[in-house]
Amino acid sequence: MTSPATGRDTGPADAAREALAPPAPHRGRAFRGMVAKRLAFIPLALFAVITISFLLVSIMPGDPALAILGSTASEREVAKVRGELGLDRSLSERYITYVGDVLQGDFGRSFFTGQPIRDEIVKYLPASIELVVMALAVASLVGITIGTAAGYFRGRAPDRTVRVAIAGLEAIPGFLAGLLLIFFLFFLWRLAPPPTGRLGIIDVYPPPVTRFLLVDLILAGDWNGLRSALHRSMLPVLTLALGAIPLFAKITRTTVGNAMGSKQIQYARACGLSEWRVVQYALLQARTPILTYTAMLFGAMVGGSAIIETIFSWQGLGQWGLKAIVALDIPAIQGFVIVTGLFTMLVYLVLDLVVAALDPRIRHG
Amino acid sequence: MASLIATARPIGRHFGLVAGALVLVALLLASWFLPLPYDPIRPDAAATLQPPSARHWFGTDSVGFDVFSRTIAAAGRDLPIAFGGALAAALIGVFLGLLSTTKGRGSAFLMRSLDAFQAFPLLVLAIAIVTLTGNRLEMVIFAIIIIEAPRFLRLVRAEGLAIREARFIEAAEVIGAKPLRVLLVHLLPNVSGVIAVQLSIATANALMVVAALSFLGIGVSPPDPSWGAMIQAGARQMTGGQWWVSLFPGLAIFVVVVSLNMVADALDVILERSVR
Repeated sequence: MTSPATGRDTGPADAAREALAPPAPHRGRAFRGMVAKRLAFIPLALFAVITISFLLVSIMPGDPALAILGSTASEREVAKVRGELGLDRSLSERYITYVGDVLQGDFGRSFFTGQPIRDEIVKYLPASIELVVMALAVASLVGITIGTAAGYFRGRAPDRTVRVAIAGLEAIPGFLAGLLLIFFLFFLWRLAPPPTGRLGIIDVYPPPVTRFLLVDLILAGDWNGLRSALHRSMLPVLTLALGAIPLFAKITRTTVGNAMGSKQIQYARACGLSEWRVVQYALLQARTPILTYTAMLFGAMVGGSAIIETIFSWQGLGQWGLKAIVALDIPAIQGFVIVTGLFTMLVYLVLDLVVAALDPRIRHG
Repeated sequence: MASLIATARPIGRHFGLVAGALVLVALLLASWFLPLPYDPIRPDAAATLQPPSARHWFGTDSVGFDVFSRTIAAAGRDLPIAFGGALAAALIGVFLGLLSTTKGRGSAFLMRSLDAFQAFPLLVLAIAIVTLTGNRLEMVIFAIIIIEAPRFLRLVRAEGLAIREARFIEAAEVIGAKPLRVLLVHLLPNVSGVIAVQLSIATANALMVVAALSFLGIGVSPPDPSWGAMIQAGARQMTGGQWWVSLFPGLAIFVVVVSLNMVADALDVILERSVR
């Protein structure tokens, strides 16, 4: 890492800062090439996701129509569902029609509500995104803080405390954590509202402009509603965050701990930087792994938070998908699989680009 | 006396391993042989939602099941499923992982398809597969394989690729050992340590998967006790303050997962020491 000669008379602290800070990003040809390669991968990934969702129907043993309707269904009903599923046609024929429909944004209609699946996804996805964003914000804040403390004081009391806390948190299933939080924060201490959804019964839903409830409440200027919604977000957000905190804490602890022993940090200390700034530089090295974890969790949680959403009646994509799965609502399950799969892939794409933009080794490699 | 101390010292050094393993074995033995105070699958309709007492140590649920008896009995179901699933995932994941260390188009394709596969929220995909295939118990094992096998694969690949560069692999290839022999006889023993550690972690994860599935009523047939289903049975009671219905089976999961992680950590430390 060579810093350009500035001609200025720089003190040792400035030199250290220059040596430690990543060079200003400049977008070369290699970067653009990488972006193009990544974007070219998207149609392929889309194809894979559609194929998996298509194959889900064919793993059902026996006649899916019978499994859906139950053995008491009349022959006409069975024939109707078979027709809707396209089971009266050959596999390849069905596959081509299915891919064509999905690419045009037609996911079919729900067997139970009769609504187009696309409308349902548009309705439920924003709630899940809001939940996950809030949970990740809380989890990263707490996790990075305690992880940094553990990494900085590695082997000493703060480190041991954090490690015990992490081991404990990791051993609690998310749904149990949710129930315990309900017991303590709602039943015992009355700090949280009951787990009955995103707004109270007297609250009025705002006009759906963005379909993100919190954003819509702000747009409508309904501050009481916003307060109520945030209050009701407390328990589910905390529950999800508790599951993600160990991951953030562990990765931060490892990277910061290793960074503290590195040459750069020795140099920074030798230059007389304050301990506070030294920690900041150590944390800077944890940037890429933390970003990676955030993206992985973001992708996995939208849809993966299904059980937590169900416990708190959050009415998000996960809860909707879970309901569809239990009810064997095939078009809805397929839509759910496609959306969650695609969502994760898009998140990974953005992650790769951000990491490449931040890390010169990848950008020029 | 001296020999007793000599025996005790290594045990003390591997406290986590011994304590963790003891808890697991004790729980399994209890579920198989301990005479339970109440029949775990016959509710007592006259004693519903009793708080913990001398008669019902862990209380009873809303149907009148004795929570203590069921918590112990459930270990005999949940633990073997979790371990069996983790073991199956290990077999498949390790085999594919070893194969993926060979050079060629096949292994690149394998890794790419794994990337695409892992893009899904795997737990939800597993739930979908178990439900769609008719909600059978064997499918829970299959669900665990789907979730855990990729982790074994990646781990073995990462470790294996590093070891492949070693001289003794080259030597084996030079004297004409077949590729499969190189993988199984020369590579596999060198990654067996990390596999053992991962197996312990995977069993803990698998138990969480089993619990999540049975919490949703998937893969269980109702009167049979299962920790996840028991937590579900007490979920509604939490808002009413009857904490014991969900808490005790939850504690059982907690204790088992902590024990398994302690075993994994201890194995990790022992391996590090033997290597360096």
